[in-house]
Amino acid sequence: MKTLRMLLMGMLFHLKHSSRSPFEIGSFVVVPIVQATLAVYLFRAAAEPQKLLQAAVGAGMMGVWSSVLFGAGGAIQMQRWQGTLEMLMLAPRRPVMVFLPITLANGAMGSYALLATLAWGRVLYGIELDFAHPFAFPVAALVTVLSLGAFGILLASLFILVRHANAFMNALEYPIWLLSGMLLPIASLPAWTGPIAAALPTTWGARALREATAGGAVWPSLGLCAVISAVCLGLGALALVHVERKARAAATLALA
Amino acid sequence: MRLLGLGSVIAYRALFNWTTPIVFVGSLLIGPLFQLIFFAYVGRELAVGDDRFYIVGNAVLSVAWTCVFGGTMAIGNERRFGTLGHVLLSPRSRTLIFLGRATPYAANGLLVAAVILTVGALLLGLHIPASAIPLLALCLAVSAVACAFFGLTLGALGLRFRDIWVISNVTTALMVLLTGVNVPFDQLPWFLRAIGAALPVTHAAAAARDAAGGAGLTGIAPNLLTEAGIGVAYAVLAAVLLRIFEAESRRRASLDTL
Repeated sequence: MKTLRMLLMGMLFHLKHSSRSPFEIGSFVVVPIVQATLAVYLFRAAAEPQKLLQAAVGAGMMGVWSSVLFGAGGAIQMQRWQGTLEMLMLAPRRPVMVFLPITLANGAMGSYALLATLAWGRVLYGIELDFAHPFAFPVAALVTVLSLGAFGILLASLFILVRHANAFMNALEYPIWLLSGMLLPIASLPAWTGPIAAALPTTWGARALREATAGGAVWPSLGLCAVISAVCLGLGALALVHVERKARAAATLALA
Repeated sequence: MRLLGLGSVIAYRALFNWTTPIVFVGSLLIGPLFQLIFFAYVGRELAVGDDRFYIVGNAVLSVAWTCVFGGTMAIGNERRFGTLGHVLLSPRSRTLIFLGRATPYAANGLLVAAVILTVGALLLGLHIPASAIPLLALCLAVSAVACAFFGLTLGALGLRFRDIWVISNVTTALMVLLTGVNVPFDQLPWFLRAIGAALPVTHAAAAARDAAGGAGLTGIAPNLLTEAGIGVAYAVLAAVLLRIFEAESRRRASLDTL
Protein backbone atom coordinates (compact mmCIF):
# COMPACT_ATOMS: atom_id res chain seq x y z
CA MET A 1 0.00 0.00 0.00
CA LYS A 2 2.85 2.33 0.94
CA THR A 3 4.61 1.52 -2.33
CA LEU A 4 1.48 2.14 -4.37
CA ARG A 5 0.94 5.45 -2.60
CA MET A 6 4.51 6.46 -3.33
CA LEU A 7 4.10 5.56 -7.00
CA LEU A 8 0.87 7.52 -7.29
CA MET A 9 2.17 10.55 -5.41
CA GLY A 10 5.38 10.47 -7.45
CA MET A 11 3.39 10.32 -10.69
CA LEU A 12 1.16 13.17 -9.60
CA PHE A 13 4.15 15.26 -8.57
CA HIS A 14 5.88 14.69 -11.89
CA LEU A 15 2.71 15.45 -13.86
CA LYS A 16 2.31 18.71 -11.96
CA HIS A 17 5.97 19.55 -12.50
CA SER A 18 5.67 18.89 -16.24
CA SER A 19 2.50 20.97 -16.44
CA ARG A 20 4.55 24.03 -15.44
CA SER A 21 6.91 23.62 -18.40
CA PRO A 22 5.86 25.43 -21.59
CA PHE A 23 8.28 23.19 -23.49
CA GLU A 24 6.63 19.98 -22.30
CA ILE A 25 3.11 21.31 -22.72
CA GLY A 26 3.82 22.77 -26.17
CA SER A 27 5.65 19.72 -27.43
CA PHE A 28 3.27 17.13 -26.01
CA VAL A 29 0.20 19.00 -27.24
CA VAL A 30 1.29 20.00 -30.74
CA VAL A 31 3.74 17.35 -31.97
CA PRO A 32 1.32 14.36 -31.78
CA ILE A 33 -1.23 16.37 -33.76
CA VAL A 34 1.40 17.10 -36.42
CA GLN A 35 2.30 13.41 -36.57
CA ALA A 36 -1.36 12.41 -36.85
CA THR A 37 -1.87 14.91 -39.69
CA LEU A 38 1.21 13.57 -41.46
CA ALA A 39 -0.05 9.99 -41.15
CA VAL A 40 -3.50 10.92 -42.44
CA TYR A 41 -2.13 12.72 -45.51
CA LEU A 42 0.33 9.91 -46.21
CA PHE A 43 -2.41 7.28 -46.16
CA ARG A 44 -4.74 9.52 -48.17
CA ALA A 45 -2.02 10.02 -50.76
CA ALA A 46 -1.65 6.25 -50.91
CA ALA A 47 -5.39 5.96 -51.61
CA GLU A 48 -5.85 3.69 -48.61
CA PRO A 49 -8.63 5.50 -46.74
CA GLN A 50 -9.78 2.25 -45.13
CA LYS A 51 -6.54 2.27 -43.14
CA LEU A 52 -6.93 5.81 -41.82
CA LEU A 53 -8.02 4.62 -38.38
CA GLN A 54 -4.99 2.34 -38.17
CA ALA A 55 -2.81 5.26 -39.25
CA ALA A 56 -4.29 7.47 -36.50
CA VAL A 57 -3.74 4.75 -33.89
CA GLY A 58 -0.20 4.20 -35.18
CA ALA A 59 0.53 7.93 -34.99
CA GLY A 60 -0.84 7.98 -31.45
CA MET A 61 1.43 5.10 -30.50
CA MET A 62 4.36 7.04 -31.99
CA GLY A 63 3.42 9.87 -29.65
CA VAL A 64 3.36 7.53 -26.65
CA TRP A 65 6.86 6.33 -27.46
CA SER A 66 8.16 9.89 -27.98
CA SER A 67 6.65 10.89 -24.66
CA VAL A 68 8.33 8.03 -22.79
CA LEU A 69 11.64 8.48 -24.61
CA PHE A 70 11.96 12.25 -24.29
CA GLY A 71 10.07 12.39 -21.01
CA ALA A 72 12.27 9.87 -19.18
CA GLY A 73 15.47 11.29 -20.61
CA GLY A 74 14.37 14.90 -20.36
CA ALA A 75 13.15 14.60 -16.78
CA ILE A 76 16.43 13.12 -15.60
CA GLN A 77 18.48 15.59 -17.58
CA MET A 78 16.38 18.42 -16.15
CA GLN A 79 16.95 17.16 -12.60
CA ARG A 80 20.65 16.98 -13.37
CA TRP A 81 20.57 20.62 -14.55
CA GLN A 82 18.53 21.64 -11.54
CA GLY A 83 20.93 19.86 -9.21
CA THR A 84 18.26 17.54 -7.79
CA LEU A 85 19.48 14.27 -9.30
CA GLU A 86 21.79 13.58 -6.36
CA MET A 87 18.90 14.19 -3.96
CA LEU A 88 16.81 11.64 -5.81
CA MET A 89 19.60 9.08 -5.73
CA LEU A 90 20.08 9.72 -2.00
CA ALA A 91 16.40 9.01 -1.26
CA PRO A 92 15.98 6.12 1.23
CA ARG A 93 14.11 4.00 -1.33
CA ARG A 94 15.32 1.76 -4.11
CA PRO A 95 16.28 3.80 -7.19
CA VAL A 96 13.66 2.03 -9.27
CA MET A 97 10.93 3.25 -6.93
CA VAL A 98 12.18 6.80 -7.29
CA PHE A 99 12.32 6.79 -11.08
CA LEU A 100 9.34 4.57 -11.94
CA PRO A 101 6.78 7.31 -11.14
CA ILE A 102 8.60 9.60 -13.59
CA THR A 103 8.51 7.12 -16.46
CA LEU A 104 4.92 6.10 -15.65
CA ALA A 105 3.90 9.75 -15.65
CA ASN A 106 5.49 10.13 -19.07
CA GLY A 107 3.57 7.09 -20.29
CA ALA A 108 0.39 8.64 -18.93
CA MET A 109 1.19 11.91 -20.72
CA GLY A 110 1.75 9.87 -23.87
CA SER A 111 -1.78 8.52 -23.62
CA TYR A 112 -2.87 12.06 -24.50
CA ALA A 113 -1.16 11.53 -27.87
CA LEU A 114 -3.30 8.49 -28.50
CA LEU A 115 -6.52 10.24 -27.51
CA ALA A 116 -5.61 13.44 -29.35
CA THR A 117 -4.77 11.71 -32.63
CA LEU A 118 -8.06 9.81 -32.54
CA ALA A 119 -10.06 12.94 -31.68
CA TRP A 120 -8.18 14.96 -34.33
CA GLY A 121 -8.84 12.28 -36.95
CA ARG A 122 -12.52 12.07 -36.05
CA VAL A 123 -13.24 15.80 -35.90
CA LEU A 124 -11.09 17.08 -38.78
CA TYR A 125 -10.89 14.17 -41.18
CA GLY A 126 -14.10 12.35 -40.37
CA ILE A 127 -12.38 9.08 -39.57
CA GLU A 128 -14.94 6.60 -38.26
CA LEU A 129 -13.85 5.24 -34.88
CA ASP A 130 -15.03 1.80 -35.88
CA PHE A 131 -12.91 -0.49 -33.73
CA ALA A 132 -13.03 -4.23 -34.31
CA HIS A 133 -12.79 -4.78 -30.52
CA PRO A 134 -14.19 -1.60 -28.93
CA PHE A 135 -13.87 -2.92 -25.37
CA ALA A 136 -10.41 -4.43 -25.84
CA PHE A 137 -9.03 -1.18 -27.30
CA PRO A 138 -9.05 0.93 -24.09
CA VAL A 139 -7.65 -2.00 -22.09
CA ALA A 140 -4.91 -2.49 -24.69
CA ALA A 141 -4.16 1.24 -24.66
CA LEU A 142 -3.92 1.35 -20.85
CA VAL A 143 -1.72 -1.75 -20.58
CA THR A 144 0.51 -0.52 -23.41
CA VAL A 145 0.97 2.90 -21.84
CA LEU A 146 1.83 1.39 -18.44
CA SER A 147 4.13 -1.16 -20.07
CA LEU A 148 6.02 1.53 -21.92
CA GLY A 149 6.29 3.47 -18.68
CA ALA A 150 7.96 0.41 -17.14
CA PHE A 151 10.20 0.05 -20.21
CA GLY A 152 11.22 3.67 -19.61
CA ILE A 153 13.10 2.51 -16.50
CA LEU A 154 15.67 0.77 -18.69
CA LEU A 155 16.10 4.01 -20.62
CA ALA A 156 16.34 6.00 -17.40
CA SER A 157 19.26 3.87 -16.20
CA LEU A 158 21.06 4.57 -19.47
CA PHE A 159 20.28 8.29 -19.29
CA ILE A 160 21.67 8.57 -15.77
CA LEU A 161 24.94 6.97 -16.75
CA VAL A 162 25.64 8.96 -19.88
CA ARG A 163 26.24 12.67 -19.78
CA HIS A 164 24.76 13.31 -23.20
CA ALA A 165 21.44 11.55 -22.83
CA ASN A 166 19.82 13.82 -25.43
CA ALA A 167 22.01 12.28 -28.16
CA PHE A 168 20.50 8.88 -27.39
CA MET A 169 17.00 10.31 -27.19
CA ASN A 170 17.31 11.97 -30.58
CA ALA A 171 18.76 8.80 -32.11
CA LEU A 172 16.19 6.36 -30.69
CA GLU A 173 12.88 7.91 -31.78
CA TYR A 174 12.64 6.84 -35.43
CA PRO A 175 14.29 3.38 -35.10
CA ILE A 176 11.67 2.27 -32.56
CA TRP A 177 8.83 3.71 -34.67
CA LEU A 178 10.20 1.77 -37.63
CA LEU A 179 11.09 -1.52 -35.91
CA SER A 180 7.87 -1.70 -33.90
CA GLY A 181 5.66 -1.41 -36.95
CA MET A 182 3.75 1.56 -35.61
CA LEU A 183 2.89 3.03 -39.00
CA LEU A 184 3.83 0.28 -41.44
CA PRO A 185 3.91 -3.52 -41.15
CA ILE A 186 7.09 -5.13 -39.86
CA ALA A 187 6.91 -7.52 -42.82
CA SER A 188 7.96 -4.66 -45.09
CA LEU A 189 11.33 -4.40 -43.29
CA PRO A 190 14.36 -6.61 -43.93
CA ALA A 191 14.06 -10.06 -42.29
CA TRP A 192 17.03 -9.49 -39.96
CA THR A 193 15.09 -6.81 -38.09
CA GLY A 194 12.46 -9.38 -37.01
CA PRO A 195 14.23 -10.69 -33.86
CA ILE A 196 15.02 -7.14 -32.71
CA ALA A 197 11.39 -6.12 -33.20
CA ALA A 198 10.17 -9.21 -31.35
CA ALA A 199 12.21 -8.24 -28.28
CA LEU A 200 10.66 -4.76 -28.04
CA PRO A 201 7.53 -4.21 -25.93
CA THR A 202 6.59 -1.38 -28.30
CA THR A 203 6.17 -3.93 -31.12
CA TRP A 204 3.65 -5.99 -29.16
CA GLY A 205 1.87 -2.94 -27.77
CA ALA A 206 1.48 -1.47 -31.27
CA ARG A 207 0.34 -4.87 -32.55
CA ALA A 208 -2.25 -5.23 -29.77
CA LEU A 209 -3.65 -1.79 -30.57
CA ARG A 210 -3.69 -2.56 -34.30
CA GLU A 211 -5.52 -5.85 -33.65
CA ALA A 212 -8.03 -4.10 -31.40
CA THR A 213 -8.56 -1.62 -34.24
CA ALA A 214 -8.60 -3.82 -37.33
CA GLY A 215 -9.29 -7.27 -35.89
CA GLY A 216 -7.16 -10.09 -34.57
CA ALA A 217 -6.16 -11.76 -31.31
CA VAL A 218 -5.49 -8.78 -29.01
CA TRP A 219 -4.71 -10.55 -25.75
CA PRO A 220 -1.64 -12.65 -26.73
CA SER A 221 0.09 -9.54 -28.12
CA LEU A 222 -0.91 -7.50 -25.09
CA GLY A 223 0.30 -10.24 -22.74
CA LEU A 224 3.67 -10.34 -24.50
CA CYS A 225 3.92 -6.55 -24.26
CA ALA A 226 3.27 -6.70 -20.51
CA VAL A 227 5.69 -9.60 -19.93
CA ILE A 228 8.56 -8.02 -21.88
CA SER A 229 7.96 -4.72 -20.08
CA ALA A 230 8.03 -6.49 -16.71
CA VAL A 231 11.35 -8.08 -17.67
CA CYS A 232 12.62 -4.65 -18.73
CA LEU A 233 11.44 -3.22 -15.42
CA GLY A 234 13.40 -5.92 -13.55
CA LEU A 235 16.47 -5.37 -15.70
CA GLY A 236 16.09 -1.63 -15.32
CA ALA A 237 15.89 -1.94 -11.52
CA LEU A 238 19.12 -3.96 -11.49
CA ALA A 239 20.75 -1.59 -13.97
CA LEU A 240 19.79 1.42 -11.86
CA VAL A 241 21.56 -0.03 -8.81
CA HIS A 242 24.63 -0.80 -10.93
CA VAL A 243 24.54 2.57 -12.66
CA GLU A 244 24.10 4.41 -9.37
CA ARG A 245 27.20 2.73 -7.93
CA LYS A 246 29.17 3.38 -11.09
CA ALA A 247 28.11 7.03 -11.28
CA ARG A 248 28.98 7.53 -7.60
CA ALA A 249 32.40 5.87 -8.05
CA ALA A 250 33.19 7.89 -11.16
CA ALA A 251 31.60 11.04 -9.70
CA THR A 252 29.68 11.65 -12.94
CA LEU A 253 26.16 11.84 -11.52
CA ALA A 254 25.87 15.61 -11.55
CA LEU A 255 27.87 16.25 -14.71
CA ALA A 256 25.67 17.55 -17.48
CA MET B 1 35.30 40.26 -41.58
CA ARG B 2 37.16 39.25 -38.43
CA LEU B 3 34.03 39.84 -36.36
CA LEU B 4 31.97 37.75 -38.74
CA GLY B 5 34.48 34.92 -39.22
CA LEU B 6 36.25 34.45 -35.92
CA GLY B 7 33.35 35.69 -33.81
CA SER B 8 30.87 33.31 -35.37
CA VAL B 9 33.19 30.31 -35.02
CA ILE B 10 33.87 31.06 -31.34
CA ALA B 11 30.15 31.56 -30.70
CA TYR B 12 29.40 28.29 -32.50
CA ARG B 13 31.84 26.35 -30.34
CA ALA B 14 30.55 27.97 -27.18
CA LEU B 15 26.82 27.91 -27.79
CA PHE B 16 26.04 24.91 -29.97
CA ASN B 17 25.43 22.17 -27.40
CA TRP B 18 25.80 19.46 -29.97
CA THR B 19 29.45 19.88 -30.95
CA THR B 20 30.76 16.96 -28.87
CA PRO B 21 31.24 13.89 -31.10
CA ILE B 22 28.68 11.63 -29.38
CA VAL B 23 25.94 14.29 -29.47
CA PHE B 24 26.83 15.34 -33.00
CA VAL B 25 26.60 11.77 -34.29
CA GLY B 26 23.52 10.85 -32.23
CA SER B 27 21.48 13.99 -32.83
CA LEU B 28 22.64 15.21 -36.21
CA LEU B 29 23.59 12.05 -38.07
CA ILE B 30 21.82 8.99 -36.64
CA GLY B 31 18.52 10.73 -35.88
CA PRO B 32 18.01 12.24 -39.36
CA LEU B 33 19.38 9.09 -41.03
CA PHE B 34 16.73 6.95 -39.33
CA GLN B 35 14.14 9.56 -40.22
CA LEU B 36 15.17 9.14 -43.86
CA ILE B 37 15.06 5.32 -43.61
CA PHE B 38 11.68 5.42 -41.83
CA PHE B 39 10.03 7.54 -44.50
CA ALA B 40 11.72 5.64 -47.34
CA TYR B 41 10.13 2.43 -46.05
CA VAL B 42 6.78 4.18 -45.51
CA GLY B 43 7.04 5.43 -49.10
CA ARG B 44 7.83 1.94 -50.40
CA GLU B 45 4.95 0.38 -48.47
CA LEU B 46 2.35 2.99 -49.38
CA ALA B 47 3.76 3.64 -52.87
CA VAL B 48 3.39 7.39 -52.31
CA GLY B 49 6.81 8.23 -53.71
CA ASP B 50 9.90 6.40 -54.91
CA ASP B 51 13.22 6.14 -53.08
CA ARG B 52 14.58 9.25 -54.79
CA PHE B 53 11.63 11.27 -53.50
CA TYR B 54 12.21 10.27 -49.89
CA ILE B 55 16.00 9.91 -49.75
CA VAL B 56 16.83 13.19 -51.47
CA GLY B 57 13.97 15.04 -49.74
CA ASN B 58 14.89 13.89 -46.24
CA ALA B 59 18.58 14.56 -46.86
CA VAL B 60 17.69 18.18 -47.66
CA LEU B 61 15.43 18.30 -44.60
CA SER B 62 18.31 17.15 -42.39
CA VAL B 63 19.87 20.61 -42.68
CA ALA B 64 16.90 21.92 -40.72
CA TRP B 65 17.92 19.97 -37.61
CA THR B 66 21.27 21.69 -37.45
CA CYS B 67 20.12 25.11 -38.50
CA VAL B 68 16.83 25.45 -36.62
CA PHE B 69 18.22 24.19 -33.32
CA GLY B 70 21.53 25.92 -34.02
CA GLY B 71 19.88 29.28 -34.60
CA THR B 72 17.89 28.83 -31.41
CA MET B 73 21.01 27.97 -29.45
CA ALA B 74 22.99 30.84 -31.05
CA ILE B 75 20.78 33.34 -29.24
CA GLY B 76 18.84 31.35 -26.63
CA ASN B 77 21.97 29.90 -25.03
CA GLU B 78 23.45 33.40 -24.59
CA ARG B 79 20.57 34.05 -22.25
CA ARG B 80 20.80 30.61 -20.60
CA PHE B 81 24.54 30.92 -20.00
CA GLY B 82 24.14 34.49 -18.71
CA THR B 83 26.19 36.14 -21.48
CA LEU B 84 23.41 37.85 -23.42
CA GLY B 85 23.88 41.13 -21.59
CA HIS B 86 27.57 41.21 -22.51
CA VAL B 87 26.81 40.68 -26.19
CA LEU B 88 24.17 43.40 -26.21
CA LEU B 89 26.62 45.78 -24.52
CA SER B 90 29.06 45.31 -27.39
CA PRO B 91 29.91 48.53 -29.27
CA ARG B 92 29.74 46.60 -32.56
CA SER B 93 26.59 46.01 -34.58
CA ARG B 94 24.59 43.28 -32.86
CA THR B 95 22.76 42.63 -36.13
CA LEU B 96 26.09 41.84 -37.77
CA ILE B 97 27.19 39.73 -34.79
CA PHE B 98 24.03 37.63 -34.81
CA LEU B 99 23.64 37.31 -38.59
CA GLY B 100 27.27 36.23 -38.82
CA ARG B 101 26.45 33.34 -36.57
CA ALA B 102 24.44 31.72 -39.36
CA THR B 103 27.64 30.85 -41.27
CA PRO B 104 28.92 27.93 -39.12
CA TYR B 105 25.44 26.47 -38.85
CA ALA B 106 25.00 26.61 -42.61
CA ALA B 107 28.37 24.87 -43.10
CA ASN B 108 27.42 22.31 -40.47
CA GLY B 109 24.04 21.72 -42.13
CA LEU B 110 25.71 21.21 -45.51
CA LEU B 111 28.10 18.65 -44.01
CA VAL B 112 25.27 16.80 -42.24
CA ALA B 113 23.07 16.72 -45.35
CA ALA B 114 25.94 15.47 -47.52
CA VAL B 115 26.65 12.63 -45.07
CA ILE B 116 22.94 11.73 -44.74
CA LEU B 117 22.45 11.72 -48.52
CA THR B 118 25.55 9.59 -49.13
CA VAL B 119 24.83 7.04 -46.39
CA GLY B 120 21.09 6.95 -47.14
CA ALA B 121 21.69 6.38 -50.86
CA LEU B 122 24.27 3.65 -50.16
CA LEU B 123 22.08 1.85 -47.60
CA LEU B 124 18.90 1.94 -49.66
CA GLY B 125 20.53 1.46 -53.05
CA LEU B 126 19.70 4.77 -54.71
CA HIS B 127 21.89 5.51 -57.72
CA ILE B 128 22.76 9.16 -58.10
CA PRO B 129 24.59 10.00 -61.34
CA ALA B 130 27.99 11.63 -60.80
CA SER B 131 26.94 14.49 -63.07
CA ALA B 132 24.16 15.39 -60.61
CA ILE B 133 26.47 15.77 -57.61
CA PRO B 134 27.57 19.42 -58.20
CA LEU B 135 23.94 20.55 -58.58
CA LEU B 136 22.89 18.53 -55.54
CA ALA B 137 25.68 20.18 -53.55
CA LEU B 138 24.42 23.57 -54.72
CA CYS B 139 20.84 22.74 -53.65
CA LEU B 140 22.06 21.59 -50.22
CA ALA B 141 24.21 24.71 -49.81
CA VAL B 142 21.37 27.11 -50.69
CA SER B 143 19.01 25.22 -48.40
CA ALA B 144 21.57 25.27 -45.57
CA VAL B 145 21.98 29.05 -45.81
CA ALA B 146 18.19 29.60 -45.98
CA CYS B 147 17.64 27.28 -42.99
CA ALA B 148 20.40 28.99 -40.99
CA PHE B 149 18.69 32.38 -41.39
CA PHE B 150 15.34 30.77 -40.61
CA GLY B 151 16.92 29.34 -37.44
CA LEU B 152 18.20 32.80 -36.50
CA THR B 153 14.70 34.21 -36.99
CA LEU B 154 13.40 31.66 -34.50
CA GLY B 155 16.40 32.34 -32.25
CA ALA B 156 15.53 36.06 -32.29
CA LEU B 157 12.27 35.12 -30.57
CA GLY B 158 14.55 34.03 -27.73
CA LEU B 159 15.01 37.70 -26.89
CA ARG B 160 11.29 37.99 -26.29
CA PHE B 161 10.09 34.57 -25.10
CA ARG B 162 11.49 32.61 -22.20
CA ASP B 163 11.15 29.09 -23.56
CA ILE B 164 12.08 29.09 -27.22
CA TRP B 165 12.94 25.39 -27.32
CA VAL B 166 9.27 24.64 -27.72
CA ILE B 167 9.25 26.84 -30.85
CA SER B 168 12.20 25.07 -32.44
CA ASN B 169 10.85 21.66 -31.46
CA VAL B 170 7.41 22.29 -32.93
CA THR B 171 8.93 23.95 -36.01
CA THR B 172 11.08 20.94 -36.90
CA ALA B 173 8.03 18.68 -36.47
CA LEU B 174 5.98 20.97 -38.72
CA MET B 175 8.73 21.02 -41.35
CA VAL B 176 8.46 17.23 -41.67
CA LEU B 177 4.81 17.72 -42.64
CA LEU B 178 4.77 21.02 -44.55
CA THR B 179 7.87 21.02 -46.76
CA GLY B 180 6.60 18.35 -49.15
CA VAL B 181 9.51 16.14 -48.21
CA ASN B 182 7.34 13.27 -47.01
CA VAL B 183 3.83 14.04 -48.22
CA PRO B 184 3.75 15.10 -51.88
CA PHE B 185 3.10 18.84 -51.95
CA ASP B 186 0.03 18.54 -54.17
CA GLN B 187 -1.62 16.22 -51.64
CA LEU B 188 -1.65 18.90 -48.96
CA PRO B 189 -4.57 21.35 -48.67
CA TRP B 190 -3.98 24.88 -50.01
CA PHE B 191 -3.42 26.53 -46.62
CA LEU B 192 -0.75 23.99 -45.64
CA ARG B 193 0.86 24.38 -49.07
CA ALA B 194 0.90 28.17 -48.57
CA ILE B 195 2.74 27.81 -45.25
CA GLY B 196 5.08 25.18 -46.68
CA ALA B 197 5.93 27.38 -49.67
CA ALA B 198 7.20 30.07 -47.28
CA LEU B 199 9.48 27.65 -45.42
CA PRO B 200 13.06 26.85 -46.33
CA VAL B 201 13.74 23.29 -47.60
CA THR B 202 10.49 23.07 -49.62
CA HIS B 203 11.89 24.48 -52.86
CA ALA B 204 15.43 23.16 -52.34
CA ALA B 205 14.06 19.63 -51.88
CA ALA B 206 12.12 19.92 -55.14
CA ALA B 207 15.22 21.26 -56.92
CA ALA B 208 17.42 18.52 -55.45
CA ARG B 209 15.01 15.81 -56.58
CA ASP B 210 15.02 17.25 -60.09
CA ALA B 211 18.82 17.44 -60.04
CA ALA B 212 19.09 13.81 -58.89
CA GLY B 213 16.71 12.92 -61.72
CA GLY B 214 19.03 14.43 -64.31
CA ALA B 215 17.72 18.00 -64.62
CA GLY B 216 20.24 20.71 -65.50
CA LEU B 217 20.90 24.05 -63.85
CA THR B 218 18.22 25.78 -65.91
CA GLY B 219 15.71 23.14 -64.88
CA ILE B 220 16.27 23.61 -61.16
CA ALA B 221 16.96 27.36 -61.26
CA PRO B 222 13.38 28.53 -60.49
CA ASN B 223 13.13 26.45 -57.31
CA LEU B 224 16.70 27.26 -56.31
CA LEU B 225 16.17 31.01 -56.75
CA THR B 226 12.94 30.84 -54.75
CA GLU B 227 14.80 29.05 -51.94
CA ALA B 228 17.54 31.69 -52.04
CA GLY B 229 14.89 34.44 -51.93
CA ILE B 230 13.30 32.79 -48.90
CA GLY B 231 16.72 32.71 -47.23
CA VAL B 232 17.24 36.44 -47.87
CA ALA B 233 13.74 37.20 -46.57
CA TYR B 234 14.46 35.34 -43.33
CA ALA B 235 17.81 37.11 -42.95
CA VAL B 236 16.03 40.48 -43.17
CA LEU B 237 13.28 39.29 -40.82
CA ALA B 238 15.86 38.01 -38.32
CA ALA B 239 17.70 41.36 -38.40
CA VAL B 240 14.46 43.30 -37.86
CA LEU B 241 13.26 41.05 -35.06
CA LEU B 242 16.65 41.19 -33.34
CA ARG B 243 16.54 44.99 -33.30
CA ILE B 244 12.94 45.15 -32.13
CA PHE B 245 13.30 42.51 -29.43
CA GLU B 246 16.62 43.90 -28.21
CA ALA B 247 15.04 47.33 -27.70
CA GLU B 248 12.00 45.71 -26.12
CA SER B 249 14.00 43.52 -23.74
CA ARG B 250 16.06 46.56 -22.62
CA ARG B 251 12.88 48.53 -22.04
CA ARG B 252 11.25 45.72 -20.06
CA ALA B 253 14.49 44.74 -18.30
CA SER B 254 13.87 41.14 -19.30
CA LEU B 255 17.28 40.35 -20.81
CA ASP B 256 18.28 37.64 -18.37
CA THR B 257 14.83 36.36 -17.53
CA LEU B 258 14.78 32.60 -17.72
